[in-house]
Amino acid sequence: MLAKKVLLVGKFGVGKTSLIRRFVENEFSEDYISTIGVRVSAKEIHLEGQEIKLMIWDVAGTKDDEKVPKAYFMGASAAMYVFDLSMEESFLNLTEQLQTVQELSGLKEITVVGNKKDLLTAEALQKIMALTQNQVDLYTSAKENDHVEEAFKALALQSLK
Amino acid sequence: MANTSEHKEDRKFEQLKELLLADDWADIAALQKEVLEDERFRSKVDPLVDEKIEHLRDNFPVYFGDTITETIKVQIKESQDEVVEALYPIMGKLVKKFIVAEITKLTDSINETIRTKLSFGERIKRFFRGEKAHAGDVYEEVFEAIVEEVFVIEKDSGLLVGSYSRGNIADKDMVSGMLTAIKAFAEDAFSQEGQNLEDIKFETFQLSLMSFKSIYIATATSGAITSDFKEELSEGIGNLADIILRDRTYLNDQERLNALIEKVLIED
Repeated sequence: MLAKKVLLVGKFGVGKTSLIRRFVENEFSEDYISTIGVRVSAKEIHLEGQEIKLMIWDVAGTKDDEKVPKAYFMGASAAMYVFDLSMEESFLNLTEQLQTVQELSGLKEITVVGNKKDLLTAEALQKIMALTQNQVDLYTSAKENDHVEEAFKALALQSLK
Repeated sequence: MANTSEHKEDRKFEQLKELLLADDWADIAALQKEVLEDERFRSKVDPLVDEKIEHLRDNFPVYFGDTITETIKVQIKESQDEVVEALYPIMGKLVKKFIVAEITKLTDSINETIRTKLSFGERIKRFFRGEKAHAGDVYEEVFEAIVEEVFVIEKDSGLLVGSYSRGNIADKDMVSGMLTAIKAFAEDAFSQEGQNLEDIKFETFQLSLMSFKSIYIATATSGAITSDFKEELSEGIGNLADIILRDRTYLNDQERLNALIEKVLIED
């Protein structure tokens, strides 16, 4: 089976862990992530005729927090940047954040996911779309299990490129 | 004649009884009515009550399980001394039994080692080799060092490329990932550039991490880790890495690599 390291990056509280919880089978205890700033989870998926084991590294923050070792970003085949649609400060400097992840991981493409869609009205969502200049690939709600599978599939597809 | 007078007397007696017991008859009738009503009520209600009791008996844990657990928890929390006092004789006996069994096993093992190591033949051999038998020999023999787990991990991604396991680790891929994260964290937080995390001690296990160009090899060992054993293991790991890095096809063939790990580190 093909195994791929994929990253899940984003500021604290944007719902990365909730997205993972919706998606994965196995995960390590909650204590790890607060201790070393990362948690590794695994999920096997079937995509494009092959079995892939995604090793999802849930990284708390990016290098600008000066807490996360650069090594966490190395050797990844794909990355997903998650932000909170209901928290403006989580997507205000989206371009810079994506640039940092690209530099650290060496990846050209990053899957961008706006989470907590359930907290927004249609009009508010339209405003954010304009504000983020269509940089967002998917809008999800971990709470309502909306587009979670699609987000991880996009990540897996990116890892195969 | 006699019969007629007897009959009259009887009637009088009956009349007297009716006069004297008039109030009591009313009471008796009321009581009788009450008893009969009670019986009728019971005959209707009893089956329902029985059915309810039966249902409660069958579903007791469902209705009261949580409350009882909570009550017991509170009770234990509030009366820790009493609980300890009550459990001590049972727990004490169990612990004592376990320790005695373990010490007996250990004693047998030590006796066997001493018998072999200090046998007349062995002592003669050692005498001619100029060696002396000492406690260290016995200790190493009793607590023999064992390689429990071997992980060959891709350095940057933390992906597992091959492994050997004596135990039963649930998800080796996740363990490899977390081990890589811990390694990266420790190296980032405590080390100076170019230094690697090499050893982690975990209860009875010792984890050793040896880094190579694109992979690192993690081994978990248990028992008495002597410098000789460490040296031997380190040499074995070096040889393994050498073979893998010379023939990189091993990195894409987990089954073949697993067999190689077993051959180089376990069998040899």
